Amino acid sequence: MVMLKKFFRKISDWSGFFPFLIFCLAFEAVPILVLIRGSLIDRTTHQITLQHFLDLQGRSYINSFINSIKLSGLTAVIGVILGTIIGYAIYTWPSERTRKIFITLLNVTSNFAGAPLAFAFVVVLGMNGVITQFLLQWLNYELYPGFSIYSFYGLVLAYVYFQLPLMVLLILPAFAGIKKEWQESARSLGANSFHFWWRIGIPVLMPSLIAGFTLLFANAFGAYATAYTLLQSQFSLVTLKIGFLIAGEVRGDPGIGMAMAVLSLMIMGISIAAYQVATIRARRWSKS
Amino acid sequence: MRKKPNLIGSLPNKKSRPTGWQILLIAFFLFYMLLPIVSTYVFSVATRWDRTILPEGYTLEFYQRAIQTSYFTITLRNSFILSMATVLVSLILIVPTVYWVHTRLVGAKPLLDVLMILPFGIPTVVLALALVQVYNFPPIARSPFLLIGAVVVYSMPFMYRPVSNAVQAINIHTLTEACQSLGANVFQILSKVIIPNIMSGILSGSLLVFSTVFAEYTLTSLLVGARFKTFPLLLVEYTRINGNIAASFSVISFTIAWLASILILWAGSQGQRPSKNVTRS
Repeated sequence: MVMLKKFFRKISDWSGFFPFLIFCLAFEAVPILVLIRGSLIDRTTHQITLQHFLDLQGRSYINSFINSIKLSGLTAVIGVILGTIIGYAIYTWPSERTRKIFITLLNVTSNFAGAPLAFAFVVVLGMNGVITQFLLQWLNYELYPGFSIYSFYGLVLAYVYFQLPLMVLLILPAFAGIKKEWQESARSLGANSFHFWWRIGIPVLMPSLIAGFTLLFANAFGAYATAYTLLQSQFSLVTLKIGFLIAGEVRGDPGIGMAMAVLSLMIMGISIAAYQVATIRARRWSKS
Repeated sequence: MRKKPNLIGSLPNKKSRPTGWQILLIAFFLFYMLLPIVSTYVFSVATRWDRTILPEGYTLEFYQRAIQTSYFTITLRNSFILSMATVLVSLILIVPTVYWVHTRLVGAKPLLDVLMILPFGIPTVVLALALVQVYNFPPIARSPFLLIGAVVVYSMPFMYRPVSNAVQAINIHTLTEACQSLGANVFQILSKVIIPNIMSGILSGSLLVFSTVFAEYTLTSLLVGARFKTFPLLLVEYTRINGNIAASFSVISFTIAWLASILILWAGSQGQRPSKNVTRS
């Protein structure tokens, strides 16, 4: 009798959660499952096949994955290094009011991503861009055609723009885990600044640095709008390729597109999982 | 439990000046962050700027033309509709769920947390592809309603975190029990007591979702495209037609996002003190 009551109680408890669960099912779980299923089924024979994944070995597909991984990895590394250094500069800035202004600026500029950002970089570094003109007229240096904003490295510059604030905002709390007493006692034992950072500071920061890297990597890998505005079809990235498939601009077996999507999900899944693990370990330092 | 002093507020040297390195780094940082934004603003009011470092002349002509483009009001209206609808759906979906999980179903909280991290792991193109494959039948195929569903998924974490933080900051069990002892039902508890106390979280979440959705391009262009043109779509279209007008659109969209950010920061700072008073006594 009691068991029955408990059972009904449990059902009524969970029923309050159902609306949200149903929503997630309808708009997340089912579509993703259909995607995975579609990537494993042959269109014509309706049999399970790995052929779509094997087809990804084609030159253009491999290129898009290599490019996406290179882009994400490079912008993540640059973002982590620059973000940490700039984050430290902000963290140790003496005036608290100015520090708050910097942080506000970070929050505000993080809105400036996607197409407007890409366009802004064309204004700045395009063929007739501000910096391009400046280099030409003041320093007699011709940026083009050696460099182009519509290329891999142009994209890197645009991506770092939104990677940087993300990293700074992520690393700022981590600096609170490096106690000032440690720096003082290290100095009293004869260590200079470099030694301190190399042996104490960076190891303590390491979980946050890894968390930052994985987050930035995932962020860059999944980005679409910025790349689309700058590149259109000149340079292949995984997200662009999938986008072309949806838009019907490319005649192709949707199975390959779904295989690409599933592979992307796996890559993202690994990054996010690594991010979670790293964040949990990072929290240990700020709690102590 | 004693909290270790937060270093941000307690640097040993009182009014020291920033070091050379700091100034250099911050200057580079400010330059890198602000130049694209400022250039866009200036470009939108420039007559001609492809031969010189500073514009050759200034004009408001492009703003005039921008406002007069055929789709200007339509896209702005569509973006507002999309953003408001998303905020509404998110609120109705998430706020009661957060409350429910915190009071009646605490064991589901880890599940809820994971579900709210999931959207970050799904690239927008992948979500778009998945949705297009599944919902390829009328009336939902390529409809704004599908878009709203997709965008709610995309923006869920941004509503969840402020609301969840706010709920955790107040003593929800004491409040709920007090209400129940006075005979209130769930709806009354939510509407008269809980929601006013987490209002800062609700406001922050709503504004975050609003500004995120207002600037959203990928899902909109891939799921509905020209059928429901939003402002970002118009902007991208004009980057290929007329750069100055595109810059004007950029300025408008960025200014709206900027205003929303300010409101978010303001909303986040509200309601911090009152809720503490409710539970302390």
